Amino acid sequence: MADDRENYHPNLIRMWRVYRTTKEMCRDRGYQMLDEDTQISLSEFAARYGREDGEPDRSRLHFSCQPSEEMMRKYTPPPSKTEPDPKPDIGNIWVEFNSDENVGLKQLRDYMQHLINGSFYSGIMICMKPMTGMALRLLRGAAGIQEGPKGGVEVFVEQDLLVNITKHELVPKHVLLSREEKDQLLKRYRLKETQLPRIQVTDPVAKYLGLRRGQVVKIIRKSETAGRYASYRWAI
Amino acid sequence: MPPKSILKKTAVSADAPPSARPVNQRHLDLALHHANIIEQRKTVEQQVLDAILVLMDFPTAPNADPTRPSASDALCFCESVIPFQPADYDSLIEERNIADKCGYALCPRPKRKAPSRAKKHFIDTAKGVEIVDRKVLEVWCSDDCAKRALYVKVQLNEEPAWLRQGGYGDKIELMVDNAEEHRKGLPLRLKKGAATPPPPKEEDIAAAWAARDDALADLAIERGETPGRLSKTSKDLIQERIKERVASAPPVPPSPSYGPLLMVIEGHVPLSRSNRNESTTAEKGDDEDEDDRDWDKHLPG
Ligand SMILES: [Zn+2]
Repeated sequence: MADDRENYHPNLIRMWRVYRTTKEMCRDRGYQMLDEDTQISLSEFAARYGREDGEPDRSRLHFSCQPSEEMMRKYTPPPSKTEPDPKPDIGNIWVEFNSDENVGLKQLRDYMQHLINGSFYSGIMICMKPMTGMALRLLRGAAGIQEGPKGGVEVFVEQDLLVNITKHELVPKHVLLSREEKDQLLKRYRLKETQLPRIQVTDPVAKYLGLRRGQVVKIIRKSETAGRYASYRWAI
Repeated sequence: MPPKSILKKTAVSADAPPSARPVNQRHLDLALHHANIIEQRKTVEQQVLDAILVLMDFPTAPNADPTRPSASDALCFCESVIPFQPADYDSLIEERNIADKCGYALCPRPKRKAPSRAKKHFIDTAKGVEIVDRKVLEVWCSDDCAKRALYVKVQLNEEPAWLRQGGYGDKIELMVDNAEEHRKGLPLRLKKGAATPPPPKEEDIAAAWAARDDALADLAIERGETPGRLSKTSKDLIQERIKERVASAPPVPPSPSYGPLLMVIEGHVPLSRSNRNESTTAEKGDDEDEDDRDWDKHLPG
């Protein structure tokens, strides 16, 4: 990279890495994303989002994205008698970089309100430090409650996004199956979903992909002896 | 010859509980007991969260006076914190502070601001200059609120609400200056003239604890429990009568069907060079012994 890192504040460099990982994460989940967004150079990042004192201005980093066609398809349940034309369980997402020193119930509620007001389907909040225990408690209970957006709110700490873990060579590729693909898989192997090995939704890769309970991921490993082989896990 | 099971064949499991009920019923009861505790815990945690969400925005009037709270606010506050443990109360203070409010739920003022953003500050106190964390400085709007808030905290039950028995200690007292307005059965302590509350005397505290213990013991006897221990919830799991464990078949000494008796370890005859030839015939079922022992060819000896 041509960027001369010595000229930038360490906090700005840090934030640049967090920002890029966040964009990559949205792309890998299937949201529409331009390459130039995930590949923004440090100098350009500094020019756009740096403050005069050299620190990053988090309030200018927020962004929203829309799911791609492919993602919409993946998140659409198969048609049934009661629901012949099902809507996808996904929509626009709002990503916010919180700049408060401490994040608690107040910020989380304000954020949820913002998502509702903006008709966002779901949201990701990225904080400088872990939020308070009570805020996490609200978050845990918030999936699908009246207060929050339909698709829920996810929270990351900046530290978690400094490095994109899915780029690590030892992390196998995880691919989300659509409902239809999941049904086919279970039928082919005559399995119940409960018989599949599991992956916790709190697992770092599961968090990265925003897996929801009940979804199935295909995990593709490279093996020296077997070439590639796939296994499947059920998110709990 | 089919592979031999390595499990002992017993007519009756020696570990079976001598229960009149089937084993599974007992397990079910136990599971249910724990599931109920988890369920109660969830309920309490939700209650605490809901209470904090309400008390974060307290008091209801923006010009309320923490020394003279409205009767409804005071009542709501007292009732909401009953399921709290002290740590939950700290969470309430933390959440109010994050929202820039004084930690005392009946105070509408913003929290105090430290003179600068430095982490540590020199503060003049009665005991001289002290070094204090900025965080500690920025919890209350005043020392008076700190006292009133902590007066509530010390009354909270340390025991998680889902494990509390008999519902004792469910009266929280407030320190207020307008007790006459709170008559409606609200336990309130009238604040006497000076800013400092008279600290409760040690004998009083001891007497109060003794009285409480007596009351609990009476209650336990009334319920037919042994004073001190068991709660109602676990009663189902305890049997009224102790039964002797009776084996329905006489114990049989383990009898190996093959091999030299002395060499048997848990029914398995380990191979050594000396007894290898005699015992291999009996071991034919185990496939690992059918290996032609390539692995040790390179070893000396
Ligand atoms: Zn105050």
